[in-house]
Amino acid sequence: MSQPLTAIVLLPLAGFLLNGLLGNRLGPRFVSTVGCGLPIAAFAVAVKCLLDLQAAGATPRIDLAYSWLVTGDNAFEIAFYFDRLAAVMVLIVTGVGSLIHLYSTGYMKGDKSYARYFAYLNLFLFFMLLLVLGRSLLVLFVGWEGVGLASYLLIGFWFEDPDKARAGKKAFITNRIGDAGFLLGMFVIYQALGTLDMDRVNAAFGSGVPAVSASLVGILLFIGATGKSAQIPLHVWLPDAMAGPTPVSALIHAATMVTAGVYLVARMSGIYVNAPEASALIAAIGAATAFFAATIAVVQTDIKKVLAYSTISQLGFMFVAAGVGAYSVAIFHLYTHAFFKACLFLGAGSVIHAMSGEQDIRKMGGLARKIPVTFATFTIATAAIAGIPPLAGFFSKDEILWFAFASSRGGSGLLYGTIATTALLTSFYMFRLVWLTFFGRSRLTPEVEHHVHESPLSMTSVLVVLAILSAIGGFLSIPHFLESLLPLPEIVPALERYETPLVVASIVLAFAGLGATAYMYGGGAERAERARLRFATLHRILSGKYYVDEAYDALIGRPLVWISERVFLAFGDRTLFDGTLHGLAALGRRTAAGLARVQNGNLHLYALLALFGIIVSIAWGWRHV
Amino acid sequence: MIETVLLWLFAGTALAAAALMLVLRHPMRVALALSATMLSLAGVYALLGVHVIAIFQVLIYVGAVMVFMVYAIMLLDVRDYSFARRFSWLLLPGTLAAIAFVLILAHAFWQGVPDQPTAAGSVLFGIQEFSIEFLNEYWLHFELVSVLLVAAVVAALAVLEVGRRRRG
Amino acid sequence: MLIVVSVALFALGLLGVIARRNVLVMLMCMELMLNGVNLSLVTFAQQTASAAGAVLVFLVFVVATAEIAIAIPIVLLLVRRKAVLDLDAYTDLKG
Repeated sequence: MSQPLTAIVLLPLAGFLLNGLLGNRLGPRFVSTVGCGLPIAAFAVAVKCLLDLQAAGATPRIDLAYSWLVTGDNAFEIAFYFDRLAAVMVLIVTGVGSLIHLYSTGYMKGDKSYARYFAYLNLFLFFMLLLVLGRSLLVLFVGWEGVGLASYLLIGFWFEDPDKARAGKKAFITNRIGDAGFLLGMFVIYQALGTLDMDRVNAAFGSGVPAVSASLVGILLFIGATGKSAQIPLHVWLPDAMAGPTPVSALIHAATMVTAGVYLVARMSGIYVNAPEASALIAAIGAATAFFAATIAVVQTDIKKVLAYSTISQLGFMFVAAGVGAYSVAIFHLYTHAFFKACLFLGAGSVIHAMSGEQDIRKMGGLARKIPVTFATFTIATAAIAGIPPLAGFFSKDEILWFAFASSRGGSGLLYGTIATTALLTSFYMFRLVWLTFFGRSRLTPEVEHHVHESPLSMTSVLVVLAILSAIGGFLSIPHFLESLLPLPEIVPALERYETPLVVASIVLAFAGLGATAYMYGGGAERAERARLRFATLHRILSGKYYVDEAYDALIGRPLVWISERVFLAFGDRTLFDGTLHGLAALGRRTAAGLARVQNGNLHLYALLALFGIIVSIAWGWRHV
Repeated sequence: MIETVLLWLFAGTALAAAALMLVLRHPMRVALALSATMLSLAGVYALLGVHVIAIFQVLIYVGAVMVFMVYAIMLLDVRDYSFARRFSWLLLPGTLAAIAFVLILAHAFWQGVPDQPTAAGSVLFGIQEFSIEFLNEYWLHFELVSVLLVAAVVAALAVLEVGRRRRG
Repeated sequence: MLIVVSVALFALGLLGVIARRNVLVMLMCMELMLNGVNLSLVTFAQQTASAAGAVLVFLVFVVATAEIAIAIPIVLLLVRRKAVLDLDAYTDLKG
């Protein structure tokens, strides 16, 4: 095949069209075959492309699919670019994506919109592949918007429930706000450099002084990334996005879509390497978000919400790594996070499935023996995210901690301190989640307890695969693989000797979290209860998510509504426009009424007016004769 | 010489009677003033030598039209509000407009038309010549005028008929 | 000079139509206007020695007669309805 990259992108699109148009008519088996088969085929093609790439000495491959707009010597093309970074991303997207498709056949079985679900899921894959394979920022942006659309469609999948529909809307709108920054960044780049091809842009920024400030472009593009990757201040959509089906949360809001922001920053490293202010901003926001989200996750009671805030927090970690120049480390964490977070979400789905739809962990407990496979895989994934060696999360998180401390491009003790604390909190709340869900006394209601059962093979097999990957995935060193593309930053020489102590510290933090959980929640959880009562105010603030949504509503939402109603509707529309129209009509009417007074039925007046007319016409005619 | 004096006399009388028409209160007196005007005008026509028209002026206008007018006045009760207040609310603007009108027309005529009467008693306006001329050259106008008169008769009958039916 | 007289007669007639209230008086003023016109016609006919002027005068006579023959009955019928000869009472056609 001459254009394998185009094939990778188009296979899921074919799946969308087939399932969307014919799925309802041809039944669930057809839908499952097409819906899972095409992503698997895309994965196979991607593997082949990777092997070809390695054989060809890692020179990037470019496939031109279509020349869209040619203006003079500039062209906007739909072209695909495949280098090692793209390879990592494509394999994650198609690989983890295919696994989640398989899982969905079990999870969504019996749903009345089965075909629509798989159509949307394939649509999402298509756009995500456009995003990661696009050569030009424009193609990436199309994919960017498209995954936002697919996310909206899938979050609001059960749209008959207005809350779920609203969650979908919130996600899309918040994304769009970020996209405004992205667009501005693209405009600036195009205006300065005349091209949007990412490899060319990176080269232009790398060689000498560019025509535009790298920091400006970097910040604008990062604004888009905050929207897509749920960083402060545009993080508000991700917890609400849990309204969608759990496999959707796993695929989109854990493994792939939300990581698009990290991918963007890594891909445009040519800009960020030359933009210290932008990089510092990225690191700061990443750290703040990570800490902030972790504190909220500590008090959440919905199993999916804990994982949602955990995702926000882990994305913050990735951005910290990108902010200090360790782009390949950010991608490494993206890769390991895809495995264990997908495993966690799918495991949560399995728990919810077993609990007949219950998601509140206060009503769970003692499930370890009842759903053993789910329990085992969930715990392995939790250990991975907590950073317990030798699981995958340990390697990637430790690298991040190391570079946050010692990178010569922005590493600092403050940064390290923040994310180390966050790592501790991560370990704590994740083990808390495991504890409350699977251990302890059963707090289930009787009818739920009666129905508890392990999930079908389609679901558990995927969980096992992902758990294995979470365990051994860390041994494949992505930073080393991407070294030629994304070199690691210099380490401050004075701090080199802290490397080993910091590794030890990471391990200590991971186990400390585990220990703290055992302490607080072990044996009936009275200590946790007492802590909650003692720190009631803090607990309330954290449970209320720092009231960010309420603040946005009060500061932005309500003033906008007020402006729309008072200024634009009442004043602008009614008073000005309608008033002008009515005023003109009234003017006409009153003029007519005034003029109509001439016709008062009085012959004397008519005769007089006739006389006036005669005089005028004589005078005028006589003057012009 | 005497003709000029008489001409001025008759013209003056016509004007004076016309002016009187405007200020007299009782409609009957107004009618008499109008009749005086018409008769003076007949005199003017006669002095100009247009005897045919002079005779017809008296016969038709004074003899038929004014008689009918007087008859109508006698039939109606004229002592109503218009008797007490003669003039309408447009007296002043009307007077000014009429003066302006006269001035404008007079000014226009002054420049244009020379005022030279030809010899009086021209043969053209004897009744024989006039009738021949009328019915030869202007027979179409004659016929149209008769149509108009027929229409007037029909209209009058229609008016009366309506009244008669209601009473009967 | 006679032209001036005719113009004056016409103007007086028109003024009478505008200024007098009584319907019958207004009719008579209209007759005055016609007379003024007749005078000017006769004057011109005599000055230019054309019969056309006299013919037109004749036609004006006929028209005046016809008009008065209709106008007076109309006035009579109107007065029968409103019992007053004041023109200000007859404003039914206003608006």
